[in-house]
Amino acid sequence: MSTSEAIYAGWMEISDSAVEQARMQAEDTALAALIDQYSGTLYRVAFSVLRNPADAEDAVQEAFLRVLRHRHTLHEVRDHRVWLIRIVWNVVLDRKRRAKTRPETDDVADLARVLPSSGLSAEEIAAAAQHHAHVLACVDKLPPKEREVLLLSAFEELSSVEIASVLGITESSVRSRLFRARNLMAELLDHARSLR
Amino acid sequence: MNPTPDNPLPSGAVPAPASFPVSFPASLDDTLRLVAHAPVPAGLKERVHASLMEAAPHGVAPRRARILMWPASGDPSAIWMGNGWLRTAAAAAIVFVVAGGGWGMYQRVERPTAKVIVMPVAQPATSGGFSSAGAIRTPQTVKGPVVMQPVTKTTSKKQTRKKTSARLAAPSQPAAQAPIVIAQPVSAVAGGK
Repeated sequence: MSTSEAIYAGWMEISDSAVEQARMQAEDTALAALIDQYSGTLYRVAFSVLRNPADAEDAVQEAFLRVLRHRHTLHEVRDHRVWLIRIVWNVVLDRKRRAKTRPETDDVADLARVLPSSGLSAEEIAAAAQHHAHVLACVDKLPPKEREVLLLSAFEELSSVEIASVLGITESSVRSRLFRARNLMAELLDHARSLR
Repeated sequence: MNPTPDNPLPSGAVPAPASFPVSFPASLDDTLRLVAHAPVPAGLKERVHASLMEAAPHGVAPRRARILMWPASGDPSAIWMGNGWLRTAAAAAIVFVVAGGGWGMYQRVERPTAKVIVMPVAQPATSGGFSSAGAIRTPQTVKGPVVMQPVTKTTSKKQTRKKTSARLAAPSQPAAQAPIVIAQPVSAVAGGK
């Protein structure tokens, strides 16, 4: 007699604790799969805002801790990737807000570590890092709404619909903000060039 | 940058400055792409797994309502009638106290009666003062309009003919009463002259 037949016949009883344990095991497996699949994406999203490897890793861990807290609702989530990016995005923005009181990190040094070093001399790497740091400083001068859309649009795996879902706005808003952001960036960079 | 048609501006729309190696938007795209494709540190997944295991060896329990979630000492079954009964009793006691307090306050507060306007009693004039001597002022009224009944002067010929024929056809009526003349005594008349 199979297990289900035995249960229907009333011969066997599965305790609630066993059911609960099986459910928790399934949730753990699902969570582990999410970590394996999306931790890299979440790290890059966090790094694009925080620009510090250690802070970005902390943000990823905090995001997955939040996921762990709500793991019993994992089956209700339709798009795990967008859902996770939204979580890490909120974590990152919280950290960024709190970090305003702290001294800013050295963007140039962090970017120099990120830059691909193949075929470049140390001087070229330093110059490129300085240039990228300058561009990112201009990005930081953008209004928050435009800056967020601009940073998220850099991720090729995110469409405008998904960016809208992450930010909780409409797709048309994403497009208009992106348009404004790029115009503002052109003005800022032009202004910086004229000052030189 | 995103190669999809999400980007409203084409790359390289702004002329390239002399100091920068590439044009502005292209430079911006390069920078953003560089940041967005930052290499993931080795062992990130393992560290995340480890941090989750440290944070919750048996998994972090989902947040529940924190009301009445005090830790029970020892085995819950050791407590009289189980932990759930205690919680239920405590909840009932809280509800009873709150409801009883509310009812007590409701009973103590004077409820307003029906709205009756009490007119002050007219006090007699104090001695030495002036009084109205019971006079009541009557407001002047305006005379109302007098409605005049329209008088119809013209009567139809038929009506007049009918009236005349009726008068002629009628039998001999007694003569109109002569005015009553009160005879006066002669003496009185003669004396008057």
